[in-house]
Amino acid sequence: MDAIRTENLTKKYALGWRRGKLLALERLNLRVHEGEVYGLLGPNGSGKSTTLKLILGLVTRTEGEAWIFDVPCDQVASRLHVGFLPENPYFYRYLTGVETLEFYGRLCGMRGAALQKRIDALLELVGLARARDRRLAGYSKGMLQRIGLAQALVHDPKLLLLDEPTAGVDPIGSRDIRDLILRLKQMGKTVLLCSHLLAQVQDVCDRIGILNLGQMILEGDVRTLIRDQRRLSFTVQNLPAEGQARVEEAVRAAGGQVIAVEHPQTTLESLFLDALRKDERGMRQHD
Amino acid sequence: MTERVGFSAGRVGTIALNTFTESVRQKVYYILLIFALVVIASASFFAQFSFSEQLKFVKDFCLGALSVFGALIAIIGTAQMLPAELENRTIYTILAKPVRRGEFLLGKYLGSVCLVAVSLLFMGLMFGAALWFKEHRLIAEALAMAESTPADELQHTLQQIRAEALDPDILKGVLLIFVKLALLAVVTLLVSTFSTSMVFNVAVTVMVFLAGHLRGVATEAWGEMLWVRALLAIVPDLSAFNVADDIILGNVIPWGHVGKVALYGLVRTVILLAAAHLIFSRREI
Repeated sequence: MDAIRTENLTKKYALGWRRGKLLALERLNLRVHEGEVYGLLGPNGSGKSTTLKLILGLVTRTEGEAWIFDVPCDQVASRLHVGFLPENPYFYRYLTGVETLEFYGRLCGMRGAALQKRIDALLELVGLARARDRRLAGYSKGMLQRIGLAQALVHDPKLLLLDEPTAGVDPIGSRDIRDLILRLKQMGKTVLLCSHLLAQVQDVCDRIGILNLGQMILEGDVRTLIRDQRRLSFTVQNLPAEGQARVEEAVRAAGGQVIAVEHPQTTLESLFLDALRKDERGMRQHD
Repeated sequence: MTERVGFSAGRVGTIALNTFTESVRQKVYYILLIFALVVIASASFFAQFSFSEQLKFVKDFCLGALSVFGALIAIIGTAQMLPAELENRTIYTILAKPVRRGEFLLGKYLGSVCLVAVSLLFMGLMFGAALWFKEHRLIAEALAMAESTPADELQHTLQQIRAEALDPDILKGVLLIFVKLALLAVVTLLVSTFSTSMVFNVAVTVMVFLAGHLRGVATEAWGEMLWVRALLAIVPDLSAFNVADDIILGNVIPWGHVGKVALYGLVRTVILLAAAHLIFSRREI
């Protein structure tokens, strides 16, 4: 069974009196398999958020169909097993972390000790246990994003829709969210992720789809799509200079071409995190 | 087999409680309520009338204050609900859960009605305190003049003061004000289902509030014009809820009349809620 399935899903927004319609999404045929992390990519205005809204029944489709676990998206029952984190979420600022999760938990029919136990576990999972009784008005951007993830997970959904989950979050928070997505995947959850951070998508997604101007222009397995079939790279260690010359010679002798010989570079993210880790004063706690 | 998600009073209650909490934790609500309480309390300090007129003045002034401040709280409290939900995108996180739009709307409305009820309760208690204070002051004044007043006349005066101060019809008046404010809240909610601006919601509802009170006058003056009659048919008759004049004149208000007016308000409220649901369930969010 697919977690999400759409057939010719189309959305046209009315632009107002005598201004026609805007085609936001055109004949989208999307399949997100159960247990995979799917990345929906595309520039601003490409139709990513519209796709999420259509799947959640927040806007009505112009044409086509959409299902969540084979339940049509216009039925309330389709949202029984879905958790959603919108882009830049603002929650009720006057509620504390615990009150926020109680509110969303009750909306999902949870009550009493089971709900309290779930809230404790979630606050621990997203690293907000120490800020549990603080009002959200005093939360940082990263903390809001993490309480957003917790509310999306409160009823232990099988499917998670995450719209730019790391928008505005610092690299440490961003890495935490990436690790959390990977942990959710290990737990068998299905994740549909919309993001501009391509490196992050590459790290966590099994498959991706690229939307542009409302149309799916490329889709497939991440590793297959980014693999350069014509080139091969070796990463070797402790190779003396004469050894390097002999390797290059061997490549040429076998009919290959040496394109570049260089020291591999670390990522800026690794450099940043290493620098903070080595700082003897330690790191600021998020909560 | 697809699981069914029916209407849930629990979800409605959760949203209502959250809406109520949101409102009472906002400073604007406290400012309005404190101002209303100060105004009501000040009613007992006017003393330039005879005792009967003083009590009438307190009742008239306080019932008016309850109506006006209650309307302000109902309109402002309800007008910002949906625009704030949309602007802050909190509505996305709620409707992404298995929550029906009707449950969301009803929960929001009931939260607003709870706010109005609690505000009326506080204002009503202050009204009672103002009446009690005035009653005791007038009794003390009457007793101070006891030497120069014949005993039976003094007794009559004291009885009259107590009867006027403890008029049970005041409760009927407050009950009808509550029904009127609940109706006003649903008008505001209906407007906010198709508008995104809080200012627009407030402006339209204030116009309905004024038109609803002036409906009788308008019907008399322009009732022959078809478009005026059509417009007035949409606007609820809010003057029907005003029984302050009867209370002040000492006329008994029969429960039958209270029930009839309350039923009128309830029917109007249900119709407007259904209309709000119809619009909101089709709204693109």
